[in-house]
Amino acid sequence: MSLEEGIRKGLRIIPIVDKEIRQLVRDPKTILMVLLMPITVTILFGYGYGGKGAGKYPITVVDLDGGDGAFKFIQELRNSKMFDIKAIYRSKGQGFSSVYSGRVYASLVIPETFTEDLTKGRPTRVELYYDASNPSVAQMIMQAVGVVTQQFQEWAADRFGTFAITPMFYTVYGPKVKKIESFIPALMAMILQMVPTSLISVSICREREKGTFEQFIMTPVSVFDIIFGKLAAYFLATISDAILSLFTAMLLFDVRLKGTFLDMTIVSTVFLLNSLSLGLLISVFSRNQLQAYQASIFSFIVFMLFSGVLVPVDVLSSEARLIASFVPMYYFVTAFRSVSLKGWSYLMVVDQLTTMTLFTVAFLVLSLRFLRMEVT
Amino acid sequence: MLELERMGELPELAVEAKGLTKRFGNFVAVNHINLSIRRGENFGLLGPNGAGKTTTIRMITGVIRPSEGYVRVFGIDVARERKRALRYIGYMPQRFSLYEDLTVEENIRLYGRLQGLTGNLLRERVRELLERFYLWEFRRRLAGKLSGGMKQRLALATALVHDPALLILDEPTAGVDPPLRRKFWEHFRELNREGKTILVTTHYMDEAENCDRLALMNRGRIIAEGSPREIKRKALGGDLVEIVLEGDLNPMELPGVRSVLEDSGGRYLLIVKDSGRDLPRIVKRAEELGARVLLASPVHVSLEEAFIRFMGESE
Repeated sequence: MSLEEGIRKGLRIIPIVDKEIRQLVRDPKTILMVLLMPITVTILFGYGYGGKGAGKYPITVVDLDGGDGAFKFIQELRNSKMFDIKAIYRSKGQGFSSVYSGRVYASLVIPETFTEDLTKGRPTRVELYYDASNPSVAQMIMQAVGVVTQQFQEWAADRFGTFAITPMFYTVYGPKVKKIESFIPALMAMILQMVPTSLISVSICREREKGTFEQFIMTPVSVFDIIFGKLAAYFLATISDAILSLFTAMLLFDVRLKGTFLDMTIVSTVFLLNSLSLGLLISVFSRNQLQAYQASIFSFIVFMLFSGVLVPVDVLSSEARLIASFVPMYYFVTAFRSVSLKGWSYLMVVDQLTTMTLFTVAFLVLSLRFLRMEVT
Repeated sequence: MLELERMGELPELAVEAKGLTKRFGNFVAVNHINLSIRRGENFGLLGPNGAGKTTTIRMITGVIRPSEGYVRVFGIDVARERKRALRYIGYMPQRFSLYEDLTVEENIRLYGRLQGLTGNLLRERVRELLERFYLWEFRRRLAGKLSGGMKQRLALATALVHDPALLILDEPTAGVDPPLRRKFWEHFRELNREGKTILVTTHYMDEAENCDRLALMNRGRIIAEGSPREIKRKALGGDLVEIVLEGDLNPMELPGVRSVLEDSGGRYLLIVKDSGRDLPRIVKRAEELGARVLLASPVHVSLEEAFIRFMGESE
């Protein structure tokens, strides 16, 4: 077969994807930005906003008894190393409000006659008021209280004769989310915007700056090949960002998200594509790499301010709300909150996903339209 | 080397430019130039830095748009049907333009694939080029880690990956050592013998002697065009010959003599119409006039001298 017959027409996306990925893998910046940054940011956020101590569940205790038995029981709770006792109250009301306000996951009530029942060998009980809006944590706390109660009962049986201590469980509905969990959407928004946008924003202008663009456009590649080739390659390289951040948060900070992994991934993917398209658009219009980085950072600041991450958009002025409606991150934060914290399916945030996709399409169309296959 | 089968069908003119002009703001980089490069020719574009050579080349390859005029490559308008024209053009830009973070082999492979080669054909082609340009043992080295000469060889191999009929080389030997420069020109001549049309820019006048035809550029204009010999003739108004004789005569009486550049007691530097035809006649005539001719030979004129004369005239 001659060379002439062997030359294929059509799209040239695959060789471009191949090339971009090889270059990304060889660039130490990629490792830094794609792997290290999400983990670092997540860890910083975790320590900054987590505040739950090392794997202990924050609870409060309401000691209505005030006797030696109650004192001994509280000591057992502490010794178990499973609880971080934030406060010991004298009234049930204080205990309840600590759960309602979301400061702790549960409040344990020791009834008035606890010591008396104990020393007389009568059956008694402890009452756990737990926050049912976080079932998995509640489960763990109930088990832990069960274990402590069991041990305490064995000790008491030895000293005071046979009797029973029954843990009683009552549900309380606290606020939906707490601390680190509530920051997960903000964290994801940051990671899915900052890294991909700035990484891809230099991809075209770097080729112009280094002169490789001049050779590149001497082949039958089209604007379409370049835009979609780069988009696909950077997507493959940065999708790990989202997954990595989620896993880091879950493993290190015990974050329990209600959403399924699939739903969260779908919402993240839609936003990631948006960030990459914005970066491509920046790259098309930037003269050099410095300009591209500056534009990425600027867009990131605007996005953070108007996405509802720092201040809820509802409390902003109407002008600011208008700006927010043009900020794709706003739709992501809204959608990701619903999916990750309320456990909604991605189908229930289809409006936000559609809006983000419209922005993505607009960025891509503008990139295709304005990418000039010329050198300057 | 795989031959381009359609070579025979290609039009006679490889490059045709008419009224080609490029303005950058108020600055006219290329000013209404006309160029005709015939198929199979080794054509040199010569001129000092800033003469507009690169801008002209870039308009021919279509990486910048002309402000006025047009370029056709094998009859295809580059501005209008760029993709079709690219099939016939291999281009080596002045600055190394390959990916420094890809290896030698990856660069050639990438360009092969971008040109549309696949499978066995691609593999064979890459291997062939690596071997031909002595890059085989360096194939796994990153392009950024190559020496200047190797980078140039890689750039040449890449420009040839789709076996183009027209090879455009912008200052291919800039910054290359003289022995390597010679080696490069051997490559170019060999490619030229294989039937490729070559358009090369350079500011090394000695290299330009290798070209079939030349165009001299200065300040965005073509100031002279023709074979190296024709250009020298035009610059001097004829051929330069040296005559040494005993006896007294007026050199203007000799046949074909147009002017006398030097007259130092028996040694003359003369401009004649055509040295090949006129020298025997001059010897004969001088002896008829009673002088004894000790030496009569054409004098080599460097292109540089010719060029300087033209530059002087155009300014």
